[in-house]
Amino acid sequence: MSTRTARPVTTTGWRRLDRRTLLVHCGWLGAPLGSFALAALATGGRIGAAGWVTLGCLAVTFAAITAAGLARWARTDYRLTADSLDLRTGLLTRRLRTVPLHRVRTVDLTAPPLHRLLGVTVLRAGTAGSGDSGGELALEALSVRDAELLRSALLDRAAVPAPGTEPLLARIDWRWLRYAPLTFWVLGGVLAVAGGAYRALDGMGIEPWRLPFVQRAFTEFGASALWLTVPAALLGILALGSLGALGQYVEGWWNYRLEWADSRTLSVRRGLFTTRAVTIERDRLRGVVLREPLLLRAGGGGYAKAVAGGLGNREDNRRRSALMPPAPRATAVRVAAGALRSAFPEPESARHPRAALRRRRTRALLCVTLPGTLTFAVLGALLTPVLLHCAWVYALTSTPVALWLARDAYRSLGHGLYGRQLVVRSGTLSRDTVVLERAAVAAWTFSSSPFGRRAGLVTLTAAVAAGEDGYRIPDLSATTAPAFAAAAAPGIVDEFLERTP
Amino acid sequence: MTVRLRPPRHRVDPRARRWWTAQALLTVSGPALLTAVALLVLALLFFAGALPWLAPLILGVLVLPAVGYLVAMPRLRHAVHAWELGDAAVYAASGWCWHRRRIAPLSRVQTVDTVRGPVQRRYGLATVTVTTASTAGDIRIAGLSEADAEELSRRIGHAAQAVPGDAA
Repeated sequence: MSTRTARPVTTTGWRRLDRRTLLVHCGWLGAPLGSFALAALATGGRIGAAGWVTLGCLAVTFAAITAAGLARWARTDYRLTADSLDLRTGLLTRRLRTVPLHRVRTVDLTAPPLHRLLGVTVLRAGTAGSGDSGGELALEALSVRDAELLRSALLDRAAVPAPGTEPLLARIDWRWLRYAPLTFWVLGGVLAVAGGAYRALDGMGIEPWRLPFVQRAFTEFGASALWLTVPAALLGILALGSLGALGQYVEGWWNYRLEWADSRTLSVRRGLFTTRAVTIERDRLRGVVLREPLLLRAGGGGYAKAVAGGLGNREDNRRRSALMPPAPRATAVRVAAGALRSAFPEPESARHPRAALRRRRTRALLCVTLPGTLTFAVLGALLTPVLLHCAWVYALTSTPVALWLARDAYRSLGHGLYGRQLVVRSGTLSRDTVVLERAAVAAWTFSSSPFGRRAGLVTLTAAVAAGEDGYRIPDLSATTAPAFAAAAAPGIVDEFLERTP
Repeated sequence: MTVRLRPPRHRVDPRARRWWTAQALLTVSGPALLTAVALLVLALLFFAGALPWLAPLILGVLVLPAVGYLVAMPRLRHAVHAWELGDAAVYAASGWCWHRRRIAPLSRVQTVDTVRGPVQRRYGLATVTVTTASTAGDIRIAGLSEADAEELSRRIGHAAQAVPGDAA
């Protein structure tokens, strides 16, 4: 796939970023100008004082940012030497950052739409321990060719194909698209778009509720047969959301390829408008997570994520650790196994004490049944008896749901040791199976709540310098947890254990 | 036969109880009690009729929890908080309602910090924070006497150097 060379690219002298960086800097103008134009359209060209002030501010900011961008571009340069990548920045205070090549763990090439139009891409190199201390080095705009060359130089290793494994782990299969409507984006996407539109209008001083056609629509809606129009509106939202989810799936996973670029690096490429290419070094890959959210699980799907270090902060990590889109569970398991380079171990389920089930039942009833019932009952007592009926109907219908969720959560619980790996499964709204390298566990935490202590339960957390940092094994039996921790990662808890007959 | 995780050997300094009491007063109990007093005074001055139901409400919602927290939290914390430096790992217990015991091997230790807050300094106390490459592995030992803290951070530093590590 790549233009990987066997030897490092010849070292370069100091070089500037691509000239097109300056154009990229103007890209932020699009959103405010667009919303301004929309506002002008919606109000029929009558722009109030606030609008003119906004436009004036925009012009001033534009001038300032362009000047700053120009200065920054002129004062930023980078250099590749035999063993390090150097970056000089700063207008007055010059700063030189040197990143030794052997510290570079991951390289992320991202090209948002504007960058793609201009033929440039952003290169981010993550180094060891770049979790929070800002160890990441970003080059804002390189031509695609330069970026690829630089990447292969940064990650240059002996380009030997992985022995005994298929280099290509997965590529997009558009039959998987059927899983797109089973994701969060169906409702979340609609809400996000609505919220964004409202904020944009609000920013231009327009209150959407005041617009005549919105008001007319609402009065008509209120006057119609509600038992027909409310479900129709809900259906409409669902359909819109599904469309959005499909769009999001296509945008995110167009041209998706997951492969072992060589024996040491795993590479993920994807994206239609914004293309991303994430490269993860094998030594930093500490495990995988198989994630099955409730809806997706009901449809027989799931997806895998990498547990790797050096993928940036929490949010970056969430984006970059994606190994595949939602797909059939069997495919997800195959991809996870391919990334692990070993069989995917499924934990034995429900080896946790019954107290864990009781705990989940109580929690489900407290979180699902109680608040709704109470709200309806209090409102009913204050306002109208109809709501009192709603209260008992809600209590009756939500109790079985809550109990079912609790039972499912209990059955999802599981943990075990398989060879060099530690496997943990938990969760019902999102059932996550975490496979971690046992050697990667950096610390153990035993935590317990007052109720859990009385029931003999303890939650064990494995600290890992990768992914989400801490992985929980919820509600273990307090008597077996220490022995499990000692067996899973020897040499941590051993000296604090005490044998009692 | 079962295997049990024993609590760490060393209790924190007894002065820590006074420090936690001061903290409770400053952050939770003090503001809550002040709010209660202000509400009662306002009610007394302007809505004397509301007192029969407002007073028990304030007592139940503000005063009792605030006093309970002030009395119970420092005692419970002192019973739970403990620390120990073993041959190969640091071990600390903390919490008052939710308990937490954390063990991090010395080979993973990256930095050791000693922090003395303004309130802590008044009681001659310090907090030792041991960081590892994972935020879920950081250990905080609060309420040590200053001498203990110095000694502990020195020993952890030495031990972490002696143990072959892979801090990355």
